Amino acid sequence: MERRKFLGLGAGILAATMVPMSISAQNYRETKIDLWKVKNEKGKPGVDAAIKALFGTDKTEEGKAKLKAPDIAENGAVIPITAKAEGASRIAVFQDANPESAVAVFDVPKNGIADYSIRIKMQQTGNVVVVAEVDGKLYKASKTVKVTIGGCGG
Amino acid sequence: MRIKAKSKGGVTTAKVMAKHPMMSYAEAEKKGKKANFITYVIAKVGDETVYEASTSQFLSKNPYLKFAFKGDHKGKEITITWSDLSGKSKTDSKKIK
Repeated sequence: MERRKFLGLGAGILAATMVPMSISAQNYRETKIDLWKVKNEKGKPGVDAAIKALFGTDKTEEGKAKLKAPDIAENGAVIPITAKAEGASRIAVFQDANPESAVAVFDVPKNGIADYSIRIKMQQTGNVVVVAEVDGKLYKASKTVKVTIGGCGG
Repeated sequence: MRIKAKSKGGVTTAKVMAKHPMMSYAEAEKKGKKANFITYVIAKVGDETVYEASTSQFLSKNPYLKFAFKGDHKGKEITITWSDLSGKSKTDSKKIK
């Protein structure tokens, strides 16, 4: 292939898989209002749709994202999870156990360390999913959490 | 807000427990109340933003947040602000140990 054409092709492929640049310091409740509305329907989890609503693509790889969550949650109202990814500029948490999918989005500031712990609620057994953006690519980790007593007032 | 922050080995770790009912839409419907939950949290040391999270109805009541950032900030104040769906916000500070 001609060199110029080849370089152009490479740039095109790169552009297609890169995540659109994010502006840091934003309140996603204001800037990505649709993200929080993506539903988990019965038999049709909303996780991929929520990932796409936030990042602009749902194409993810394994590897850099790490998720720590219990195998079994005795109390579905308080489930400790930790989401981390070295070098991430953004980390998001989703699940398919509640009516809507998105749980939290962390923009990692300049000297921030992408290692975040929170406690979440799950109405029922389901998957918790972490997606981290590192150098314009998305990495995913997920874990099934068994919930013995549902924690969403349900 | 309960805040604990300390610097060690060039890293500052913070643990925050905010006081908030974090009432989800499902819970609110059941109780005949209005849903309300923290939607945004930001932490700063001086002018520097060290943590930023957009949160949802699916964080547990009285949300617990743990995060870390680079730097030795012993003696400085960390300021945490949260705002919720109803538009209310709260700010608290604590000295980093």
